[in-house]
Amino acid sequence: MMESKNRVCDTMVCAMARMIRDGDNVFHGVSSHMPMVAVLLAKAMHAPKAVHLNIPGGVDPVLRKLQKYTSAGPELLEGSKSYFPLMEVFDLSMRGGLDVAFLSGVQFDVWGNVNASVIGDYKKPKVRLPGGAGSAVLIPTAKRAIIWRTKHDQRTFVNQVDFITTRGNVDKIVTPLCIFKMENGEMVLDTIHETSSLEEVRENTGFPIKYSRIAYTPLPTKEELSALGRIDPGNYRNIEF
Amino acid sequence: MSKVISLQEAAQLIHDGDILGLGGNVLHRAPMALVRELVRQNKKDLKLVKTAGAMDVDMLCFGGCVSSVDAGFISYESEFSLAVHYRKAVESGEIMGNEHACYTVISALRAASYGVGFMPVKGLVVSDLIGVNDYFLRIQNPFTNEMVTVVKAICPDVAVIHVQEADEEGNARITGPLFEDVLFSRAARKVILTAEKIVPGSLFSSGMKKADIPNFLVEAVVRAPRGAAPCSCFGCYDIDRKGIIGFKALKDREALGGHLLSLEYGDHKGYGGSL
Repeated sequence: MMESKNRVCDTMVCAMARMIRDGDNVFHGVSSHMPMVAVLLAKAMHAPKAVHLNIPGGVDPVLRKLQKYTSAGPELLEGSKSYFPLMEVFDLSMRGGLDVAFLSGVQFDVWGNVNASVIGDYKKPKVRLPGGAGSAVLIPTAKRAIIWRTKHDQRTFVNQVDFITTRGNVDKIVTPLCIFKMENGEMVLDTIHETSSLEEVRENTGFPIKYSRIAYTPLPTKEELSALGRIDPGNYRNIEF
Repeated sequence: MSKVISLQEAAQLIHDGDILGLGGNVLHRAPMALVRELVRQNKKDLKLVKTAGAMDVDMLCFGGCVSSVDAGFISYESEFSLAVHYRKAVESGEIMGNEHACYTVISALRAASYGVGFMPVKGLVVSDLIGVNDYFLRIQNPFTNEMVTVVKAICPDVAVIHVQEADEEGNARITGPLFEDVLFSRAARKVILTAEKIVPGSLFSSGMKKADIPNFLVEAVVRAPRGAAPCSCFGCYDIDRKGIIGFKALKDREALGGHLLSLEYGDHKGYGGSL
């Protein structure tokens, strides 16, 4: 990667935040510090009416302090006015009311298949992954599923996933090198981060890169960076790197 | 009538082969004192159920107490990374990792609480999970002829739930996120509570903030201050990082035995292992 004054985690989180539209109902789950910060950032910037939903069930929590070890802790309920826990977020998504779900996984292929389950045989796997959590029901039902993954290599972006945990309404995939988008059922390059290059994306992706034009991911603005400093002073958005 | 019993007696109510529902979520309000006692009592063939589990599931797997885990997600979160013992045991074939979406665990528990054998799940459409697991089936909606995925009911033999307050009769109030615990209490055949505090029942009858779990569903209550430690318990304590890191550093079952022995006195006295 090229030297830059911008950190990749900030570029990724700002890009994720900008994908949230004002008024969207947005959910993130466990092990999800980057989306949690992205939702808080979006609400502080362009999307104050976005609705922040999470596992503990606090709707639009005003957080006194983020926790380093969890994105599913009671602090997400404490500073909120109403209670809408995980099972109801799922119900909401099933009836078509969830706009954005942030999810991750371990392998992704060009057809938008997501693997968060196993490498190898399901009953006696070579690698047992943590599991897709909500993915298998949220990716098909949320209006837009946004994937983030802090690894971008040929083992992550593969020709064909080992196991299909789910496939559905994946809209964007945010990585440390670029952003992919799903277009006509195929994963194509949307933008490249300024810290990377088309060559680097190609070398680290297990399927041929398709694109209609070369564009770069907009850099975090001064306003976004200063909001990030306030929202996440502990820098937990960088925890996965 | 008082249902308060000791931690050792409570663990004896859980039998080898039982389907065991665990309350809390990841590192929050997991019933760790009872989990430790189950390992000390050398339970076998437990079939664990949880939406998202971490140290509780990992410790029971490490202790050799488990034959299957039905869950949507088993891992510590970012800071403490993977549940190594669960992972190894599934990879070696010792434990069957029955992967759900968290929602299909919820749906399976709802089926049990509604007294029906299965539950339709809308979202699970394109997934290899459907074919490889016998608890998912695609059937026809009899009203519209559309295909729908259904999940088989899960009726835990026992649900173990750690709460902040319970009275002697088993009325329990949870402060903060409930996670799936109220549902567990309705779906399970037997409910065992571990409680930070045993409170007088008048606390619930005198105000309008009632118990979340009523006594008639509850089999036993254990006084277990710090009973979720080293996991968090809202309003009482946050995680104990040293406790989690210490557990994660244990190399083998012998070391686990030593670790559990060092916490035994505190657990049995009702001090959850941190004194």
